[in-house]
Amino acid sequence: MRKRVVCAPLAVLAMALLAGMAVASTPSVTITSPKVGQSVSLRKTPVLGIAGTAAFATPAATNTKYYLRRDGCGTSNDNPHLSVTSGTDAGDGCGLTFAIVGVGSEVDHGAYVDYPASDGLPLTIDSSRNITGVIDLEGIQSASAGLVTVDLTLEGLENGSGVTVGTDSVQVLMVPGQTSYPVSFSFQPNGSVDKNDLAGIDLRIYIHGPYINSGFIANSGASWITLPTWSASFAQSVQVSLDDPSFANPIAATLDPSGWTAAVRTPAIGTHTLYARSIQGFDVSSVASSTFKVTR
Amino acid sequence: MTKRMRITTAVTTLALLLVAGAGSASGSATVHHPLYMPDVQHVGSPALQPPPICCIPNPGVATGLPAPGNMAYFGGHVQVAPKIYLVFWGWGEPGAFDHSTPGMPSYDPDGAAARMTAFVRALGGTTWAGVQTQYYMTNANGTNTYIGNPPNQLGGVWYDNTTPIHDNLSGLELAQEADRARAHFGVTDLANSQFIIAQPQKYNEAGFNSGAGYCAWHDYTLPSTYPGVTPGISFTNMPYVLNMGSSCGQNSVNSGYYTGRLDGFTIVLGHEIEETVTDPGAEDVVNGTYYGGWYDLQGWENGDKCAWVGYTGGATSPSSVPGGLGTMTGNDGKSYPVQSLWSNNSAAGTGYCAGAGTNLPVTG
Repeated sequence: MRKRVVCAPLAVLAMALLAGMAVASTPSVTITSPKVGQSVSLRKTPVLGIAGTAAFATPAATNTKYYLRRDGCGTSNDNPHLSVTSGTDAGDGCGLTFAIVGVGSEVDHGAYVDYPASDGLPLTIDSSRNITGVIDLEGIQSASAGLVTVDLTLEGLENGSGVTVGTDSVQVLMVPGQTSYPVSFSFQPNGSVDKNDLAGIDLRIYIHGPYINSGFIANSGASWITLPTWSASFAQSVQVSLDDPSFANPIAATLDPSGWTAAVRTPAIGTHTLYARSIQGFDVSSVASSTFKVTR
Repeated sequence: MTKRMRITTAVTTLALLLVAGAGSASGSATVHHPLYMPDVQHVGSPALQPPPICCIPNPGVATGLPAPGNMAYFGGHVQVAPKIYLVFWGWGEPGAFDHSTPGMPSYDPDGAAARMTAFVRALGGTTWAGVQTQYYMTNANGTNTYIGNPPNQLGGVWYDNTTPIHDNLSGLELAQEADRARAHFGVTDLANSQFIIAQPQKYNEAGFNSGAGYCAWHDYTLPSTYPGVTPGISFTNMPYVLNMGSSCGQNSVNSGYYTGRLDGFTIVLGHEIEETVTDPGAEDVVNGTYYGGWYDLQGWENGDKCAWVGYTGGATSPSSVPGGLGTMTGNDGKSYPVQSLWSNNSAAGTGYCAGAGTNLPVTG
């Protein structure tokens, strides 16, 4: 029994690592100066130097694998989405259905499907490596014939705005008698999003071209996309606040290899509290505080 | 007298004749309902048509096309120095949203409040808002005062998390919230002020929730319609339009999932704001008194006449159609999706939709 208790967290950690999820390590911070209870002379120290230590998770190259999932077929909320977990999808076998069109013509159906991520966020993109994956087109009627184009657009949500992470276009020739077409793709993310923190990810799939009869994008683990990511954010900072634990007007500290430093005008005579917190991406540390006294 | 002036004068004269006729015909009757902005699927819905002006049947209008015919002045006031007050009612209250977004505040996980605030802050002095400056109100001494386009039209922002909110709000409750906002901001110049009652994802106005087919509406408080509420308040019912997806503008200008996700907020909000500027009295008629400002003989205001022009469900870009949905370059240099506004001066005085960067080649 005891052995099981010890092993369970390790198993969870191992599964998370296998799935390519970022194992977030909460940043931390301390205040080393002024020390708790320290007296500071206002006359001798008009500007108060403050310092401390901060620890951040080291970003390591990893991957985040998303599966294309669909909760229903023809319901009011079929909810096509990306998830870092796979399973049997109730909407598998449904979804994008190709219209019947004539061979040899290019028809723009204007039909695309968005798969926004429902978990595995936020992400820090590594644009030095390729995005890879498979869009599995299944249930293609055996009489189908023609060139099909699968357009992929990956968009991210950065600071509340949409940014294009990357695009790709893959062609597949459908031949009579074949009903299954796993379409592989590989493309490099835009350099503009390298090491940026994304709060959302959406994969838009648009299938078009001259083909006949119908098919769908398979779910239940058959279609997926792997993003090259970092395990932690490169955006690291320390904020300081004097007598205000809400950090309404934070002061940015300067980071250096040994910790952080900042300077504030020494406050009025009396007892004051200095607050500090470290931030890595969207993760915020516990707040450290140090109460000190200002004397004449 | 130019051709344009002759046309404007003729239309105005006709309107005044109709007003006089309607006034005597209606006697003491009160003509009122909020002025809806139909969603994309309900542009021609009879239930969402403006109240009749007099005796001309409303022919409706097809989706994607402007409603032809110039607007006329009906005698009420206009907002010559607009001040727009944003009220985010209940956005920070429990249950207001069913999701969170990393890096975004819990009271605004989609960034809708931030987008609307930035939009209102940026619209002053723009070409888009400048369409309004051709319209005026006639004073008691017979002179006209034209609508201005000052650079700062944002009166204030209030996150009201004190007054409990709930789902399926009534129009009266929205008017009462507008009245609380009036008190909160200490507004005394009601004639130039308008209050946007913006609702969070999970708590919206009943008609919007029911699928009545509109994205928003604006109205004017009178004792006969909003009893107990301070009279003379112009306010907008601004639901969380993202709940209606593309029906209320999502991705109607920008195609990206995230890039176009909030398109509807500025399109719909801009529609209501500028209708309120030119028609703050919301076409109300009480005891023969016309509170309405500018609208056409079908009751269409400057936003209605250009709503969803060019929209084809994503098949083609609405910006490729004259008067179609487009963007406003704000005074902050950023682009905001908007619909165009009816301009009597466009097309050499014939009138057309303008201001969204999709003008006809001939503009007034």
